[in-house]
Order: sequence, then structure tokens, then C-alpha cells
Amino acid sequence: MAEPSPNIAGSDTRVSTSIGGIAVAEGRSAELEALRLLEDAFGAFDRIAVSFSGAEDVVLVDLGARILGSDLPVFSLDTGRLHPQTHRFMETVRDHYGVAIETLAPDPDELVDLVRDKGLFSFYRDGHGECCAIRKIEPLGRKLRELDAWITGQRADQSVTREGLPTSQDDLAFSSADHPVKKFNPLANWSGRDVWDYIRRREIPYNPLHDQGYRSIGCEPCTRPVGPHQHEREGRWWWENVADKECGLHAQNVAEPLRIIDR
Amino acid sequence: MRITFVKKILADGQPCRKCADVESRLAESGQMSHIDRVVIADERDPASEGMRLAMLHDVVTAPFFIVEHTTDKQHSDEDGPRITVYTVYLRFVRDVFGGHRDNVAEAREAMRANPDLGLI
Repeated sequence: MAEPSPNIAGSDTRVSTSIGGIAVAEGRSAELEALRLLEDAFGAFDRIAVSFSGAEDVVLVDLGARILGSDLPVFSLDTGRLHPQTHRFMETVRDHYGVAIETLAPDPDELVDLVRDKGLFSFYRDGHGECCAIRKIEPLGRKLRELDAWITGQRADQSVTREGLPTSQDDLAFSSADHPVKKFNPLANWSGRDVWDYIRRREIPYNPLHDQGYRSIGCEPCTRPVGPHQHEREGRWWWENVADKECGLHAQNVAEPLRIIDR
Repeated sequence: MRITFVKKILADGQPCRKCADVESRLAESGQMSHIDRVVIADERDPASEGMRLAMLHDVVTAPFFIVEHTTDKQHSDEDGPRITVYTVYLRFVRDVFGGHRDNVAEAREAMRANPDLGLI
């Protein structure tokens, strides 16, 4: 296994900053901010882990491994509907970084009920919410009961509903009164281009589906390649209207977008 | 304990269906009597109290609940009461009123309130 380099790839980069002994090249403030955030998060929480989807969020694994090496705690949600390429890529990442990737599976009883009652493709008819809840969110909730914080590769530019995504937040979807959960999004302010610049510069492995036009990778039936001028979100659940989410709070008649105030 | 229930009025002036559903469930279960305040987040008015509370507590979906643990002795008066915000109704009910955990039902509700979770 190749030991991850603590330095930025590329011999022409000028090292100007160091964080915890990790060199960061000049002009890479987003990378530096992400590393700082991760280092702070790892320092603040013992029960913390990276969520890795098997897509371009491999950047998160790379950043984390630069700090913790093969001790980086990583989990993945295996919905049972992932592309075979994604499974193989997860193995590549496991080998490349020497990290143990904990694979979480859906509750089998719930899965049996869903498929028996609604078939294998109910999401095309009923929307993806129910299937994702059973295959992805319930196992995630189970895992988060063991953790006090988790780290995601979410970025603000990935969808209209992620605008204003903070780099750290109280995870209201999974917190309870006696068990608050913190969520860190070190890539929140990265663009897709930032991510791919990082992947190429660091020469880290990536999911081969990206070379086939897949920009956002999830379950096989719910993911498709997109054209060069399409938003990556158009490659997911394309039969649904992403902006038509009634639960969201959408302020009207304001010159400035609503800014979330941290508690 | 002081509980605030924040429900939403849509930009077209209609009440949000999920909020109405949650409110009727609160009423049918008798839990509404434990709600101290019902506040409106009016999408037509960003200065409405509910919209301001959403911003203050980093909430982007409705309905939601703000629980102030007024009898929690771990927090000093200077800090004010400990606050828990719930965007998942079933988790709120389980935490505040007790009851069994239904992981999948909570996951479904979390998914509905946070559709981006599907991108995780």
C-alpha cells in the first residue's frame, strides 16, 4: 500500500504554510481551511468519522488521511444498489490509504417489506424519499447514534438546497436532547472544479464512472451521466423536481439571501 | 421545559401540508396542550418570528420545534436555558413525550425534511 504523502503533490508547488506538520502550498486557502477544520474536529471529538460515498468525496478521505493516516475512521452506506464500479473503488480506497471502511447495510426486514410491497423500482413512481430512508438514512441514523460528530463531503454548489451550507453545524436531523450530533462539511465552500483540481494534483484514485460522464454518483438506478453544461444534480433523480420541496423555508421579497446565524 | 412549535405559511399564502399534518397529530394525541407557543414562519415575510427563529437556530425546513430546558441545572442563568431544536417530529415526540423508537419512520421524516440527505 502506498503511504499517503503528507505534502501536496507536485514538485513545483511552493510550500508556504504548515498545519500540524502538513505542508500546504501557497494560494490553496480552501485546502488549508479544510485541513484546519478537520484537525480541529478530530481534536474536539473522539467519536467522529468520515462518511464516504465512493465518489469524488474521496478528497475527504485524502484530507483526513493526511492528518490521521490509516487511523482515519471512515464509514460508507452500502444501499445494495450501488454500481459495481463504486464497490471496486471503495476497495481501491481501502487499499490506497490503508483505512478500514465500515460498510453499513439497510435493515433487512425493512428492505424485504419495501421490495415485497412496492417492488425494486418504487422510487420512479413514489419518489426516492422512501427508498433512501430505508437504504441510506436509517443505517446512517444507527451509525450516528455511536458518534458525536461526522464529516461529510457536501458542497454548497451541489444543489439549490445546499446554498449557504456551513462548514460546521448542529445536525438537527439526527440530534436529540441527550445526544447532540455535530456535522462538519470541510468542502462546503469548494467548487466542483476545486475538487477535481485537488484529485488531479494529488493523483489520488477516483471512481471510474466519472470518466463516463457521471458527475454525481449514488445508486445505479438513480444516477446517470450528464452533459458538460448540465448541473451535476441533474444526474440524480431527474424525474423529480428538486426545487419543489415544500418543507424548505424560502424567504420571498428579500434583497439579500437569508443568512443563517450561528447559535 | 418550554416548547415552541414553528409552522409555515407558503409563499402563496397556503399553510404547509406537513405542518398541518403535524399540528393535527399533536392535537389528536393531546400533545398540543404541552406546546407553549405556536409561531408562524411566513415565507412572504422574512421578518416574521418563525423565519427569524429559523435563521437563529440554523433551521432550513418547517415545521420545527424549539425546546428550552428551563429546569436544566447544568446551565447557568447567564447562558440561558439549554435549547434543543427538532426538525423531525417523531424524534421530538420520542424525546419529549417518551415512546418507542421507530428508526425507519424517523428516517422517512428526516429524508422529507432534509432531501439532500439522499446525496450523502
